[in-house]
Amino acid sequence: MLTVKKNITIMNAYIIAGLRSPVGKAPKGKFRFLRPDDLAAQVIRQLVAQVPNLDKDRIDDLIVGNAMPEAEQGLNVARLISLLALDTDKVPGVTVNRYCASGLDTIATASAKIHAGLADCIIAGGVESMSLIPMGGWRVIPNADIAAKHPDWYWGMGLTAEAVAEEYKVSREDQDAFALNSHLKAIAAIKEGKFKSGIAPITVEEIGLDENNKRKTSSYIVDTDEGPRADTNADALAKLKPVFSATGSVTAGNSSQTSDGAAFVIVVSERMLKDLNVKPIARLVSYAVAGVPPRIMGIGPVEAIPKALKLAGMNLNQMDLIELNEAFASQSLAVQRTLGINPDVLNVNGGAIALGHPLGCSGAKLSVQVFNELKARNKKYGMVTMCVGTGQGAAGIFEML
Amino acid sequence: MSRLIRKVAVLGSGVMGSRIACHFANTGVEVLLLDIVPRELNEAEKAKGLTLESKAVRNRIVNDSLQGVLKSNPSPVYSKSVVSRIKTGNFDDNLSEISQCDWVLEAVVERLDIKQQVFEKVEQFRKPGSLITTNTSGIPIHYLVKGRSEDFVKHFCGTHFFNPPRYLRLLEIIPGPSTDLNVIDFLMHYGELHLGKTTVLCKDTPAFIANRIGVYGIMSLFHTVKKMGLTVEEVDKLTGPVLGRPKSATFRTCDVVGLDTLVHVANGLKDNCPNDEAKALFVLPDYVAKMNESKWLGDKTGQGFYKKVKGSGGKSEILALDLNTMEYRPQQKVKFATLEQTKPIENLRERMKVLVAGKDKAGEFYRASFAGLFAYVSNRIPEISDEIYKIDQAMNAGFGWELGPFEAWDAIGVKESIAMMDAAGIQTAAWVKEMLAAGCTTFYKIENGKKLCYDVPSKSYKVIPGTEQFILLDTVRESKTVWKNAGTTLTDIGDGILNLEFHTKMNTIGGEVLSGINKAIDIAEKDFRGLVISNEGQNFSAGANLGMVFMLAIEQEWDELDFAVRAFQNATSRIRYSSVPVVAAPHNLTLGGGTEICLHADAVVAHAETYMGLVEFGVGVIPGGGGTKEFALRLSDNLAEGDVELNEFRNRFLTIGQAKVSTSAREAFELGYLRNGIDRVVVSRNRLLTEAKAEALRLADEGYTKPVPRTDIRVLGKQALGLAYVGANSMLSGKYISEHDALISRKLAWVLCGGDLSQPTMVSEKYLLDLEREAFLSLCGERKSLERMQSILNGGKVLRN
Repeated sequence: MLTVKKNITIMNAYIIAGLRSPVGKAPKGKFRFLRPDDLAAQVIRQLVAQVPNLDKDRIDDLIVGNAMPEAEQGLNVARLISLLALDTDKVPGVTVNRYCASGLDTIATASAKIHAGLADCIIAGGVESMSLIPMGGWRVIPNADIAAKHPDWYWGMGLTAEAVAEEYKVSREDQDAFALNSHLKAIAAIKEGKFKSGIAPITVEEIGLDENNKRKTSSYIVDTDEGPRADTNADALAKLKPVFSATGSVTAGNSSQTSDGAAFVIVVSERMLKDLNVKPIARLVSYAVAGVPPRIMGIGPVEAIPKALKLAGMNLNQMDLIELNEAFASQSLAVQRTLGINPDVLNVNGGAIALGHPLGCSGAKLSVQVFNELKARNKKYGMVTMCVGTGQGAAGIFEML
Repeated sequence: MSRLIRKVAVLGSGVMGSRIACHFANTGVEVLLLDIVPRELNEAEKAKGLTLESKAVRNRIVNDSLQGVLKSNPSPVYSKSVVSRIKTGNFDDNLSEISQCDWVLEAVVERLDIKQQVFEKVEQFRKPGSLITTNTSGIPIHYLVKGRSEDFVKHFCGTHFFNPPRYLRLLEIIPGPSTDLNVIDFLMHYGELHLGKTTVLCKDTPAFIANRIGVYGIMSLFHTVKKMGLTVEEVDKLTGPVLGRPKSATFRTCDVVGLDTLVHVANGLKDNCPNDEAKALFVLPDYVAKMNESKWLGDKTGQGFYKKVKGSGGKSEILALDLNTMEYRPQQKVKFATLEQTKPIENLRERMKVLVAGKDKAGEFYRASFAGLFAYVSNRIPEISDEIYKIDQAMNAGFGWELGPFEAWDAIGVKESIAMMDAAGIQTAAWVKEMLAAGCTTFYKIENGKKLCYDVPSKSYKVIPGTEQFILLDTVRESKTVWKNAGTTLTDIGDGILNLEFHTKMNTIGGEVLSGINKAIDIAEKDFRGLVISNEGQNFSAGANLGMVFMLAIEQEWDELDFAVRAFQNATSRIRYSSVPVVAAPHNLTLGGGTEICLHADAVVAHAETYMGLVEFGVGVIPGGGGTKEFALRLSDNLAEGDVELNEFRNRFLTIGQAKVSTSAREAFELGYLRNGIDRVVVSRNRLLTEAKAEALRLADEGYTKPVPRTDIRVLGKQALGLAYVGANSMLSGKYISEHDALISRKLAWVLCGGDLSQPTMVSEKYLLDLEREAFLSLCGERKSLERMQSILNGGKVLRN
């Protein structure tokens, strides 16, 4: 039953469930040794349990976003997660990498495939363990010719944040104030239980040694984000030294945290929706990616947001909430100021500076957060957007149903 | 010797206790470090909900002290990895564990009653026959053993470590009245062999040997400075390196040690040495008393004889105390004709003669001070020691005097000095005059390659006990020299082994040293079984002769410079590819070219205090004497199938790129300058050459064969080049390094990678040496590299242009 559609904005793909793990701090947090395949599997098991009518064999694909697909995240981790989580070998899996946009990109791909009639049910999202796989991976082999001719293509993200701060004249004071605000909002959100319904508690089994060097098994449950610090303040942030440049303004305090996390949604076709007899949560209205100079990759959203709005035929003021991934305070502020984003709708429950940024998971995690917050506020449109390493931006617009 | 030390307990974790614990851990011993349980919780502990029963609280004092000293600079440990050998605990819960210890070292606060209480407890738990020592700088040893058992008293001895115990070489051993002779022998031997100390056996007299003489010296200067109207900075200039003493000289040393500590010892001497003819000097002059009351104690209170202040523009300045006004003022330039006159004189003994003959105030100062010092030490025999060499050893190892009092007296002339004393109206001891009358004109002499010392009781010369176990170049050089040139001397050290010593300024390596190396190997290959490269200078080598490189580069004598670099590469290659084993025995500073020599030796026997590094980046070049090639070779050899090659590559690249210098020989292994299983460490400086010789002999006995030149060095080519470029670019963009640093980094990467080869490739040493030389020469053509060299040549500061 293939239907050819002429207008891409009419999508009959529906998000019917979404869950995320709490975000752990890397590399010494509660998920420090929890493998990303195990972490993702726990989230997916709880996610499918929310749709009891779903016959798992009817899931057409599992699309997993991941920014460093090697080591524990290698060997097409998506397929292994599928086998671990779904108790069937019928569901295939594909790992997708668009760095920090991976988790959003997978939702877009799932929606597009369903829209095109290529699938009826896809689980999409992302996972990242930054505790286990270092930024950049274990074996970095840059192209020597590029390194000689275009050194900034290989810049670390911190340097690009410095470049954005310089070019867009974002002061250290403003960056620190933005960072503090992120923590304050996150702490308040956790206190008010705003993330509760979106979080899948994670059980961690630990085998270690006790005081007498005897093997000891224990386990604990994690249900809250580890990143936000109630004890931070303006003075403490102001005291931090820049970490990427001797003369810079970007510090560990006004950058996103390295994190571990997983988040997934279930996207289904209209037909599947009827079969399951469930109410949809939201749909993806549009999604766009754009390229920018690698040395100022942080302004990626400045290009991607207008593109996504144009596809949707909307304007920025129609967005009830925007989740802009806080890779760095400098780029978040540069994006906000350049596009004139209303701060009242921006990252209302804090962002990655406080809550963490598990690279490939972040897009899906922010999507789950925006659904829940829109629902709580009884609002309709939300956007998830982020900058992407080596000069890209991504933006997706959701409509609550 | 049947006594084994596997585990020691150190009681008291103050600065001294913790640092002693660290030094035992340095040498491989397991340590139990104990201190008292705190009486109450601190705020942090309360906040965490801990109680006085929590282990973290009970061990807080000891843990805090240990962490505190671990942060001190220079570090008390050879490497962070040794810290795991130290277990901490407290007197209440863990004292029973001393029953497993072979040696209990007490280092609690210097109070007789407290020490006695500790010993009473120790007696309950210690293993019979185990050693028990007290570390003290002043408490008479015989007071401490009252009420103790026979076994305790027999195994009890005093020790006096100097702070910091890792670095200061003196260890005074002070037996009590009933200490077993075997225990004394053991401590003397163990301290030397295992702890690397100069052990000096002392009598139980106030302040023992070194502090008695040293504090006399300082107190006498405290009086002289006022009497002669000298300034603080003048005295420090007159009593520092020019006399072969530390740069901190007199007043700066007081500031480091703490005036209160000195006053404490001086008061002790005043009270306990009623018959000391110089006791008037132990009374504090008014200005010192005033400083002590005002807590101008030195570094610990922020001001002493000097005070560091932040001047205008944020630059810190060190002011000196004006002893007349008692106010701090900028330091004045010190100028004395006598000091000018001795500037070109390298030899300390020669220099001393000129100093005391000075016609100005400086000469007057030296005559008065030396007359006083010589008379004082002569009168301390036999009070504090029967043997004169002990006093010299103590001052040498404890106060860093290159020449002890009797050695200095020999240098100036025994007879001549007596005339000096007569002029000052000071009396020397009668035995000195007797010695002279008997025709013995010096305190020391060298006979048949042995150093002899005048023995006062027997009125004859005797070999210094213990020294027969070591080879000391100073004593064998004269009779056993095989060959020499202006920069090196080749000495036959017996059993078919030669030693090549450098004796250029700072032991830098230039043409003379390189031809010395070649000649030494020629001679060794012909008539000997092996060669050791070592010396007894202050440093093994400060590196290549930079002045020569700079001159050739600035005059653009490229052919000659190319020739000079080839000569260096050939000499290091020769060290490896000769028919006899070559062993390098570095100590102290071993930089640049000095490290390259060690990198090419068949084996390195390093003194524990060896500070090694390829520091060429600081002068704008890369190691050009085979050092970069050798790092590429070791990188290749260190890799096992399946390793991530780039990680090892990055380590090697950064070690040279950041000019890393090891803070100990142990750390030189971690940095890849020394090789596990081939190179080794000797803790005792005196034994270094002896051990290096034994290593050369061992290699010869094993059937040493000239190695085959390597053609199987795996270099990574372009695979790793990109990583190095990215690293350098990032550091540059982050403004951590300069454009020029980035340029040198890329040159270094080029050599380490074997150039831009498309794939990992096996190359020869010659291929790498050619790349290394090309890179070195091209950097010598860079103006900024020349500026860096000039900066070092002029003032010693590394220029980061």
